[in-house]
Amino acid sequence: MGTAKPRPSGRGSIAKAPSLPSKTFVIDNGAHTMKAGYAPDSVPSDDGSQLLSTCATIPNALTKTRNNRVYIGSQLHTHVTDWNELMFRRPVEKGYTVNWEAEKEIWEHSFFDEKTARKDLRIASPEETTLVLTEAPNALPILQKNADEIVMEEWGFGGYLRTIGPSLNAWNEIRSLFGDPLAQNPDGPISPAECLLVIDSGYSHTTVTPVYKGRPLQRGIRRLDLGGKHLTNYLKEMVSMRQYNMVDETYIMNDVKEAVCFVSNNFPGEMEQAWKGNRKRGQPDPSEGVVVDYVLPDPNAGVKGFMRPHDPLLNLKKRKSTLSGSETALLSEDVLVLGNERFTVPEILFTPGDIGMKQAGIPDMILQSLSVLPTGLHPAFLANVLVVGGNALLPGFMDRLETELRQTASTECVVRVRRPQDPIRFAWLGGARFATNKEELKRVAITRQEYQENGSSWAGRKFSGAL
Amino acid sequence: MYSIEILPNSSTHATPGWTYVPDRRDRGFDPAKAAITPAVGRKRGIRDPGRADLSSRQNNAIVRHLAELDRENHKDVSIPIPVKQQKDSGGRGTRGKVTSNVRRILQSQKTFRNHLDDEEAAQAQAAQTATQRPAPAQLSRLAKPPSSRRSSTPAAASKPEPASSRQKKHTPSVTPSAAAPAASTTTSTDGDGDGDKPDADASPNPTKLITSEHDNDPLLRSYIPSAPSDRIMQALLSEPPLSYHAARAGPPLTNKSPRRFCCMCGYWGKIRCKNCHQRTCGLECYKVHEDSRCGAFF
Repeated sequence: MGTAKPRPSGRGSIAKAPSLPSKTFVIDNGAHTMKAGYAPDSVPSDDGSQLLSTCATIPNALTKTRNNRVYIGSQLHTHVTDWNELMFRRPVEKGYTVNWEAEKEIWEHSFFDEKTARKDLRIASPEETTLVLTEAPNALPILQKNADEIVMEEWGFGGYLRTIGPSLNAWNEIRSLFGDPLAQNPDGPISPAECLLVIDSGYSHTTVTPVYKGRPLQRGIRRLDLGGKHLTNYLKEMVSMRQYNMVDETYIMNDVKEAVCFVSNNFPGEMEQAWKGNRKRGQPDPSEGVVVDYVLPDPNAGVKGFMRPHDPLLNLKKRKSTLSGSETALLSEDVLVLGNERFTVPEILFTPGDIGMKQAGIPDMILQSLSVLPTGLHPAFLANVLVVGGNALLPGFMDRLETELRQTASTECVVRVRRPQDPIRFAWLGGARFATNKEELKRVAITRQEYQENGSSWAGRKFSGAL
Repeated sequence: MYSIEILPNSSTHATPGWTYVPDRRDRGFDPAKAAITPAVGRKRGIRDPGRADLSSRQNNAIVRHLAELDRENHKDVSIPIPVKQQKDSGGRGTRGKVTSNVRRILQSQKTFRNHLDDEEAAQAQAAQTATQRPAPAQLSRLAKPPSSRRSSTPAAASKPEPASSRQKKHTPSVTPSAAAPAASTTTSTDGDGDGDKPDADASPNPTKLITSEHDNDPLLRSYIPSAPSDRIMQALLSEPPLSYHAARAGPPLTNKSPRRFCCMCGYWGKIRCKNCHQRTCGLECYKVHEDSRCGAFF
């Protein structure tokens, strides 16, 4: 255990400096994309957009195309032009890094290989770099141990910290997001928000994490096993049942979901609007605004998919143009008509009972999480609810969550629900800001030397806060 | 009074798929309720089977559907790591040789499911040894084997044992801060109820409100609990994480009956197919359903 033979040069540098290396690389290793980049030496004074420019979002997957070519990570965006029937192999399963064979390949390609890694993301010498790696809460100890061993023994980072992703959000500029007065000493070291309830609705699941002064309150962490993947698959299933067979088109349906889906704030009302029965009678179409068309991408013409208002006469037009032989563009395009699918799909995050799941929706889950915490903390957490993760970008999500929380929470409490500008990279941003606070980082991270002396089980205990 | 209920479970056992569970209703025996509930339950079961417990067949369908939604690709595919040229692998020469740990992890083809099962097995074993060891000391008077369920012992004697062992397995960390809720129910006399944070140092404003005799009326007081002390917070922060299963969100708090949707168009499922119990919104969708999809395919 911990018997990695250090490089001669590595040994020399360790003997000189047993403290953490000054450069810090932050990886938020999500199931869908990983967010990675170097942390700055000091926090820029602006709202974080400058900092975010150093963060890259890389698909965390091996992608296989129709003609059996395999692409790694970011090649999905640069090399793949035919999005039909893409298959994915994702090393992160249910939010936890499981398959290190694939993960190593993607990391090597993105960060270590000098030919393929972007220049600003390349980790030239791991032993002179501190790695901050996120994990989902409530990870299995064996998976944590695997991660520690791979990071320290395969790449041999000079410093290493494995931490729960949602808790990093507390290191961001939370006060301005909630409209609170700013901290007294803006020039001092970065400090975490005092109380923050982080809702992380990602690709594999949705978690609620109460974060107190940058550290998670473990007993309050709750998880709903529904995330963006389930929404995409559910939409895919509905569309395949009702219109075209799209079961192999995960990538395309994910784009469709991102383009058309929204969280309804008036579910029965919108259900009525989208009903086909109402469409026939009324002269002014009541479904206008709810029902939309999505034009599927055409790889031959190089056209990406897009959404447009529903055109009820589309089929008629198509038939006409077949007769007249004009407007071939209209003929070649394939259109999905999306009505109630647009809001019944994200609805399962709030009412998992709609697909027969016996778990509570997000607002209920928040209250379940709070119910195991002292009541004195409830007002502070309810006033600081932060939503991150890709699903936070669904239109209407924030309003719906705030409304339902307001209805169920105690009257004495103020309920404030906020979403950062970029909910996907917010945890990374928090991690990068946290890394500028060297004192705090030194307290929780481990060095390569410590790992070699004490081994991986010690590292696991250290990261769980037992030491 | 015992009723038989089929418990859906994911683990494999040698036992048959059902088990005896004690009927909840006889715990606090209420003759009035006992007279009514069975009748109501039966009738409701006829009218609206959705309100009662789902049948195991429906449960299986739901479990299958959820597994379907959880898939990465629709088909099972194996995507191999792209093969590299030899000179690329020479690049790792600078990094020292692969340790045995790394080799083992890289070669492992375990899925999350496998790891989770391992974890559960380890936990179950740990719980078993933990309960067996104190057993001779505590229960020497009872001297019952753990399989005392079917024996004629009074319920009170055998009840606590399975309950406690189950609790130990699911929530291993509910020990500290029993004092937490008690301490936090202390009330602050601060009147206005819109304080964002329950600051402990909410000093009473000298130029505040006109005092009246009703100020101390317990009915009119606004109860905002004060923040817990630093000691409690430290205890909470140092708790170990819950297990993967314990962190899963529980069933919803409100017991609303589930919504049903048309399996064809997604509108409200107003009518139920008498063959396959799927819902459709009206005759138009029902005809399509009957013609194409109704039957044993689902």
